[in-house]
Amino acid sequence: MKEQTERLLYEVAEDVLGKLTFVFSFPDDDRPPLDPDAAVSASVSFDGPFSGTLFLTVTAPMLPELTGNMLGVEEGETTVEQQEDALKELINVICGNFLPRFAGKQAIFHVAPPRIAGGDEPADAETAASAGYRVQLSLDEGACDLHLTVRGIPSSENGEDDPDVAPVRMNP
Amino acid sequence: MEINVLVVDDSSVMRSMIGKTMQMSGLPLGNIYQAANGQEGLEILKQHWIDLVIVDINMPVMNGEEMIDHMRSLPELRDIHVVVISTEGSDTRIERLTHKGAAFIHKPFTPESIRDTVKDIMRIGNADEGTD
Repeated sequence: MKEQTERLLYEVAEDVLGKLTFVFSFPDDDRPPLDPDAAVSASVSFDGPFSGTLFLTVTAPMLPELTGNMLGVEEGETTVEQQEDALKELINVICGNFLPRFAGKQAIFHVAPPRIAGGDEPADAETAASAGYRVQLSLDEGACDLHLTVRGIPSSENGEDDPDVAPVRMNP
Repeated sequence: MEINVLVVDDSSVMRSMIGKTMQMSGLPLGNIYQAANGQEGLEILKQHWIDLVIVDINMPVMNGEEMIDHMRSLPELRDIHVVVISTEGSDTRIERLTHKGAAFIHKPFTPESIRDTVKDIMRIGNADEGTD
């Protein structure tokens, strides 16, 4: 299930990044995780049939380009506030598209407002979670990491059925 | 006929994206107003003639569903067309919004999806006109 979940997360991220920022992305699992000191992270937490947090970490120089593409302006014309807003909106849309494909369209989640996260938060959250998933992407001129930490869905990870959680629905 | 639009979303980046995407859609647009939450949106509705409200769901102060409920309870606002653009994935919640008379577009959206939905809900033109 871990591999399926990470593939689904990649598919959703690739689709959202492509449609919102017009940036192509590719899996890049062989490189080390991004250095928190050279990157910017945003997170969004959700609660429903299970709870968790999704983190999106982007190399710092890439963020103005993503923001400029979203706004249709040159990257140098974007403000820090717009860049943080863009990163929060990206993680919000990725999370909103991931959850129904992961848990089923009948599942109802409360999704908290996205926020800018501290550099060590993804690793700390992964340590505290019952299940963690990681996807590393290469972008046109940068990179991004996605960390999904989940609480309350441990049995599926062990190959057991959890009656409270909808089955994962993967696209062919 | 030019369509005056109110875009209600707590993300300024998303408000700009929706505005630009609508301009790309080929729809006959008039003025595009912006609000950061439902309460601000209602204030703008009282001050300007608006034909179409594009609204997100999850916002601080007053969310999109509360704003729609307010609009539907006021005679002068209840007939304004509403399109919800959101990341919401729950069929139950989407169905609840459509029962309130709102159309739904999922983020990420395209100029075509906005154009077709707006033309459908406002019953204008042919759905195959627009960006080409």
